[in-house]
Amino acid sequence: MIKKIIFFMGVFLFLMPGLSAAEVWKAPDQEKAKERAREVVPFVKEYKDDCLINRRTCLVDAGISIKDVTTVYFVLGSPVIKKREDHYEPVRFAHKRHAALTNDCSVCHHFRPKDENALETTRCSACHQDSFNPDYPERIGLKAAYHQQCMQCHQNQGKGPVDCKGCHLQNVPDHKELVKLPDGADPFQVTAECLRCHDTQADDMLTTAHWLWKGPSPYTTGHRKDIMHGKGTTALNNF
Amino acid sequence: MKLTRRTFFKFMGAAGSTVVGRASSANAWESKAPPDSYGCLVDLSRCVGCRKCEEACSTVNGLPAPERANCQCTIFEKKRRPDDTAYTVVNRYFTGKLDTFDKPLPTFAKVQCMHCQDAACVSACIVGALTKDETGAVHYDVSKCIGCRYCMVACPFEIPAYEYDDPITPRVMKCTFCYDRIKKEGGIPGCVTICPTEALTFGKRETVLKIAHDRLRENPGKYIQHVYGEKEVGGTSWMYISAVPFEKVNLPVLPETPSPKLSETIQHSLFSYLWSPIALFGVLGAVMFTSKKHTDHSNRKGGD
Amino acid sequence: MEHKARPLNKKFWTPGVMVMLVFMAAGAVSIIARFTGGIGYVTNLSDARPWGLWVGVDVATGVALAAGGFTTAALAHIFGRHNYESITRPALLTAVLGYTFVVLGLLVDIGRSWAIWKPMFNWNTNSVLFEVAMCVMVYLTVLYIEFFPIVAEQFKDRVNLPGILSVFNNLVDSILKRGDAFVGKIMWIFIILGVVLSCMHQSSLGSLMLVAPTKLHPLWYTPMLPLLFLTSAFAVGYPMVVFETTLATSSFKLDGEMNILTPLTRITVFLLGMYMFLKIGDMIYRGTYIYLLQGTYQTNSFIVEVLFGVMVPWVLLLFKRIRQSRTGIFIAASMIIGGVILNRINVFIVGYKSPLSESGYFPAPGEIFVTLGLIATLMFIYRCVVTCLPVLQAPEEVSS
Repeated sequence: MIKKIIFFMGVFLFLMPGLSAAEVWKAPDQEKAKERAREVVPFVKEYKDDCLINRRTCLVDAGISIKDVTTVYFVLGSPVIKKREDHYEPVRFAHKRHAALTNDCSVCHHFRPKDENALETTRCSACHQDSFNPDYPERIGLKAAYHQQCMQCHQNQGKGPVDCKGCHLQNVPDHKELVKLPDGADPFQVTAECLRCHDTQADDMLTTAHWLWKGPSPYTTGHRKDIMHGKGTTALNNF
Repeated sequence: MKLTRRTFFKFMGAAGSTVVGRASSANAWESKAPPDSYGCLVDLSRCVGCRKCEEACSTVNGLPAPERANCQCTIFEKKRRPDDTAYTVVNRYFTGKLDTFDKPLPTFAKVQCMHCQDAACVSACIVGALTKDETGAVHYDVSKCIGCRYCMVACPFEIPAYEYDDPITPRVMKCTFCYDRIKKEGGIPGCVTICPTEALTFGKRETVLKIAHDRLRENPGKYIQHVYGEKEVGGTSWMYISAVPFEKVNLPVLPETPSPKLSETIQHSLFSYLWSPIALFGVLGAVMFTSKKHTDHSNRKGGD
Repeated sequence: MEHKARPLNKKFWTPGVMVMLVFMAAGAVSIIARFTGGIGYVTNLSDARPWGLWVGVDVATGVALAAGGFTTAALAHIFGRHNYESITRPALLTAVLGYTFVVLGLLVDIGRSWAIWKPMFNWNTNSVLFEVAMCVMVYLTVLYIEFFPIVAEQFKDRVNLPGILSVFNNLVDSILKRGDAFVGKIMWIFIILGVVLSCMHQSSLGSLMLVAPTKLHPLWYTPMLPLLFLTSAFAVGYPMVVFETTLATSSFKLDGEMNILTPLTRITVFLLGMYMFLKIGDMIYRGTYIYLLQGTYQTNSFIVEVLFGVMVPWVLLLFKRIRQSRTGIFIAASMIIGGVILNRINVFIVGYKSPLSESGYFPAPGEIFVTLGLIATLMFIYRCVVTCLPVLQAPEEVSS
């Protein structure tokens, strides 16, 4: 009898890791992108100071084009950035899509290492690493390089997001730790708990149509005319 | 009123010797800016108005979280100033510049204490609670402060704010240049650490100034050809370069003379070694002595 | 004729005194509010406007109007015009009270009143305010020492402490006598020192604003500001004596003392003329007259200050008939005093412009109540003191 119990416990312990591993599926390409993001490449000290037109010609001469872009996207989450701050999730940069849209590698790959053996299109973090490196005072850090490159281009082209959340997911703190509610909390308690931190958002919400709307709008005509009241008049948890 | 001849001459002698001593030590006003101090460059053309600097500042300095930290929608509709709850704020200005689609292009400008090389507030502070230290930071020592607010009167940038609602222990509140961080090797002010576009560049003032001039030279037509803060009021630790005129982003036009120069020159030329009060004392003593002798004399004549 | 100051023997509780008590009560309430709710609770001060009514009036104007103390002391004791000695005591009392209230006003205005002693141990010799503070502190002490003989004169040989304290009668009496004798011997030092200290901080009050060249309107901002403050203090000293003597003598129904006041106004013509010459000369030299007709409230305030505070009274006093009329000199003196008050308010409040924010400022009721309360208290104590100490020229019980 005791042997049986020990045996079952043994089987259980053996199976447990297998069970939990099977629960979380991870996308292989995402894992690969994350893996790549974690790499820190050696710092390129000297670069070839071409003008932009030269650079474009060089790239064409080297026969580099959209066909050579194999990676669909990168996760721009280098440890170089992470060690300074971590407010947002790293951006998933659709490399292939941007390459196809611009059809000009030199827009981003604006310089190349002086070393002739180096790749024609080396990665950003080879040249842009730490900010305010006293030896290279005008070489901006990786985070700033990303932001300036992306935002300036988006602004000039008139497309692509220029606000934080257009590219980033916010690094939302784990709300399991923050929310403190008793078991079986009623709606009032839940709303009050949300408002504990999100009072500005609540104020904003009160000025929106979600709250102020008081009857059928032109947009609901023909749909649900029977909704005659907005949340502001009938809601139960009206704080 | 007993004024004997001997005491009178004693005083006169002291006064005379002081005047002579004073004349030899007469010297012109000199800047008290620390050598090799730190500086910071704000490149307004790079700032995107994310207000992360405000957030970092409040975290680093233990201030209340900035107003609407996560929402840029309405905050820029009013012009804000640094106050007793925020050492730095970012404002948005439409200066008439248009982007490639003829839409008005905003310019964002961060405001904070400029940490002047010869700061008016440092000169003004009655107790020396404000000092320019070797890092370049204008440092506030609350334990000396008496709350006279003369620093606020003196500041040409209108920076120091005051805790007007504290009845007993109000403090002057202004950017510290993250003094505790930058005095350590490799330390960087909170706002500079977080800036996503490196609109803020921190380093030795000389280096930063050189970067500023390099940027002006290497990007012809992009910037106004002026480094704001290089010479304003004798130079400041925080400097600005911009693509739009500085007065349009609320940076005041200021003379190149350091603010304290005139008042310090007057004070020191009049009062060093207290020569003028002592001389005045001597002169008045002499007048008093002679007028007394005169009246004594006439009294005696008239009285007898 | 020998002058002899005596305590007044007049009715104390008049309707005027009652009005003073009302203002004092209002001021006391505001002060309590300031020390519980903070400066921001009772004032309209802001980060852009750190100095307001309390500094402009309670401190700067208070110091200027107490100039009667050192100007009369200089005249009577240093320049040996002993016929003016009868006015030195009231002027001294005004100065003692004036400076006491400057300090009280400062205590209300500075944020950390309990830290007011700190400048004594933390010196910043670059700071104009430091010098002003030191001078005011020492000068206040000097004033109290100068006032000591008046107290001693009243209580010598008749110290009569109530109840159990009467055992100290002899001790206090001997302290008074010895102190009086000692102070009498070295009084000349204090009298000269008082004049020297006054010249120092009266001028330095003007230097205060020199550190903010971009914030003070160019009509007032001049490197001459300290000299202008000093000469205006000289000029307002005797008008102040005229003003308060006239008020006191009519209030207590005493002799008008025109034989002293008329010569004082002649000196005033010279002193005020000097101030006027410097002020207008400075304006012409720096070319700031171009601002005069801009019509803003600042330039208008400057015009009123110079025209009605300096020029008109100066011209008035040129006439002998006015100098000999009690009403005439009272009006002229009032205008000069008003001019100096307005000048101080202009330099510290009206002419001050914050470079970036809109800082329109008008004092809040709380600020006004505190200032009025302090002034009322000052007048009340003046009345108390002249009633029981030998300050004013006593009437020979016939002159009124």
